[in-house]
Amino acid sequence: MSTAIPVRTVCPYCAVGCHLDLLVENGRVKGLEYAVDSPVNAGRLCAKGHAALEILYHPDRLQHPIQRSPSGWKPVSWDHALETAAEKIRNIVTAYGPNALAFLSTAKGTNEENYLVQKLARVVGTHNVDHCARLCHASTLTGLGPMLGLGAATNPLSDLSQSHCLFFVGSNPAENHPVAFRWVQEAKDRGARILVADPRRTPTAWIADLHLPLRPGTDLALLAAMLHVIFQERLQDDAFIARRTRGVEALRASVKHTDPTWAARLTGVPARDIVRAARMYATAPRASLIYCMGVTQHVVGTETVRACADLALVTGHVGSLGSGLFPVRGQDNVQGACDMGALSGLLPGYRPVTDREARAFFESAWGLPPGALGAAPGLTVTEMEQAAGRTVRGLIAIGENPVVTSPESRKTRESLQRLDFLVVVDLFMTETAELAHLVLPAAAWAEKSGSRTNTDRRVQWSPKAVDPPGEARPDWKIVIDLAHRLGLGQFFPYGSPEDVLEEIRRIVPAYGGISAGRLSQAAEGIAWPCPDETHPGTPVLYENHFATEDGLARLYPIEFREPPEMPDADFPYCLTTGRVSLHYNSGAMTRRSPSLFSRSPHLFVEIHPDDAAREGLRHRDRVRLITRRGSIEAQAHVTGSVCPGVLFAPFHFPQTNAITQNMLDPSAKIPEFKTAACRLEKMEGKGP
Amino acid sequence: MEGTVRERVMVRLERCVGCRSCEMACRVAHSRSGILRDAVCEEPRPLRRIFVEQAADSPAPFLCRHCEDAPCVRCCPTGALAFDEESRLVVYGVERCIGCHACVMACPFGVIQPGRGDGYVVKCDRCVGREEPACVEACPTKALVLESRFLSERRRRTAIQFVQAARGGPRVEDMLASGSP
Repeated sequence: MSTAIPVRTVCPYCAVGCHLDLLVENGRVKGLEYAVDSPVNAGRLCAKGHAALEILYHPDRLQHPIQRSPSGWKPVSWDHALETAAEKIRNIVTAYGPNALAFLSTAKGTNEENYLVQKLARVVGTHNVDHCARLCHASTLTGLGPMLGLGAATNPLSDLSQSHCLFFVGSNPAENHPVAFRWVQEAKDRGARILVADPRRTPTAWIADLHLPLRPGTDLALLAAMLHVIFQERLQDDAFIARRTRGVEALRASVKHTDPTWAARLTGVPARDIVRAARMYATAPRASLIYCMGVTQHVVGTETVRACADLALVTGHVGSLGSGLFPVRGQDNVQGACDMGALSGLLPGYRPVTDREARAFFESAWGLPPGALGAAPGLTVTEMEQAAGRTVRGLIAIGENPVVTSPESRKTRESLQRLDFLVVVDLFMTETAELAHLVLPAAAWAEKSGSRTNTDRRVQWSPKAVDPPGEARPDWKIVIDLAHRLGLGQFFPYGSPEDVLEEIRRIVPAYGGISAGRLSQAAEGIAWPCPDETHPGTPVLYENHFATEDGLARLYPIEFREPPEMPDADFPYCLTTGRVSLHYNSGAMTRRSPSLFSRSPHLFVEIHPDDAAREGLRHRDRVRLITRRGSIEAQAHVTGSVCPGVLFAPFHFPQTNAITQNMLDPSAKIPEFKTAACRLEKMEGKGP
Repeated sequence: MEGTVRERVMVRLERCVGCRSCEMACRVAHSRSGILRDAVCEEPRPLRRIFVEQAADSPAPFLCRHCEDAPCVRCCPTGALAFDEESRLVVYGVERCIGCHACVMACPFGVIQPGRGDGYVVKCDRCVGREEPACVEACPTKALVLESRFLSERRRRTAIQFVQAARGGPRVEDMLASGSP
């Protein structure tokens, strides 16, 4: 008879927020039990969830603080490490002012930790705090915020099973959120139509009734043409438009000339398929639009997000069961990190830093003197990297790996090397940690308590199951200790994550009723907005009114622009990047996870058979990919799942982002990851 | 035969000589042509569903156990793997599979493998349409047998021993203690 005690934690990988029951015996996790009674995943688990324990007891886990010295890395005590960090930070602030500091917070941390990191940055005196949402759903915040009021999914993912039509735009949940895909299958079983707009025939597209294989970067043209068809064939929901929205005339005028024939030329999708897609989506009684990085990671990311919302609004497919707009998040707590204000332009609860009242509120809530918070937004992730070594002299990176995740990584690496002080807090010696002056060992998900918010806006409590290895500490403790050493202890009087959540409840109205005690009792968590203790939470947003000032949604006109770098004679292919099912983001965890890495060990590039024949390439040949920014090596995967002229490479390997574009969406500052003009060269030998 | 209980394959480890005939038969049975001569030339090469592993100095064939409370079925996000109550087999519906490879990670026997060139998975289907699976048919030492045949054989041998004991041979208790049937 085993004496192991099951501890229900939330999976550290994607934003579905599955429950993992860890079997704890004598202070160690002995195994994993499927959480069959979990309302989130009902025991289902993907490959990454299965491999989560490999991270917990990985031999490469950082166990002690280490400091760079002329003779290499040297282990130091926590006392010494924190004192060094505090001294360097004080020196930088004295010499250059607080805006010479920048903080990278983490979507892998809890809500409490993100709250603490942004509070520390702001108490020190800078809005230079951001995290990787900038690289994934920043355009959702800038796009949906002004239109609907909140930049978040309107419905829980389980609602997908209630839809009659599911339209996936640049989204591949079958690979990236496998556990959530069962709701898509359920919808399909009930007869729902599945539409997938993606340059690749992804596993999501395997079950599609209609796959629209568009050229990367032309989603906006496709959506504009669909809106054109809807208006022309009078498929719009006039009652909904009149009652709930403003700005329809400008939208109608902007799509007057964007007919399917025009879009067919740009997107490569036959005009009749665009018409069919528009009819299917608009005429379904309940329809969901699901979009992801294929929409957001463009210089027109904000506009494309708005076009998605326009489509949902004019057809009335927002604000009811089974009808919603789903920006599916990638990381376990990227929603929460945004909610907590770990963003350069937004304070907790999405209050803009440019809003005088919001600043005054936080100054008084945090006990800062009036005027202490700056009125100008701070630097975003990409701007921090560009300014590193110039105006930014010190960077505190927690759980982020920008050397792998940021575009044109050679430049990122160079600028990080110019910093006076770089401290990295992480589980492993990541590519970014290699450049640091000080590396602090962090605790993993099962080694700390805290709340996390999944893509449904579902806040869940994940309790501590075991102690961290060696001297590793949870991020919240590191941030609080650092704040105390900086002489800011009065602002950080917390003894536990529960204390921090109490403050969050007072400051972020949407979290008002979400207490640690309530969360630990709520099997399925609580969906924000939840203003008070008696409120049941709000799984579906905007049922009666939108979160804008007058309660009406704004429709935005659409203006199509081509991607900044189109294929030409020198660079004839369009390289697009994305994810594979066995890896996760920068790969810091999954490339170290033996059972995942052994099944997907290579950086590969998918090539259409016609293109492969022209280049003289065979399956598994070694190729060199060359863009205007550099070149990388990869293994050729010849497959009909990509369109001719399009190449696809996963971004989980450090090489990929060496050659992606560093062009930014002007309002969201999200880089154009999804298109890059590219050329191929065959290399000798097989491999890599 | 569809719709009725499909007998599972029993493995008698002690009889396996590691000839790998079962692997070859399995490949051929799951090839497009179904004939050895053509199967060897097929591209992508047909995959086997049974694995003869050299474990603890002895060859040991492994194939899907068609568990009743199977980890692969529990964790499969889409229900592509399901326990079929009628046939009592873990059945795989390729049309629901999204290639997430959760089952590959979950199977404690390691007998579910990724497909080649696509995202699907490959596992023992107990040879659809065959009364006797190809591996059982091919096994020269009867290390792989169908359950009912194994049991009836065991019954027969035990009965023989009882009869022999009744005719004045060694006592049945001694024979059972020595583990001879």
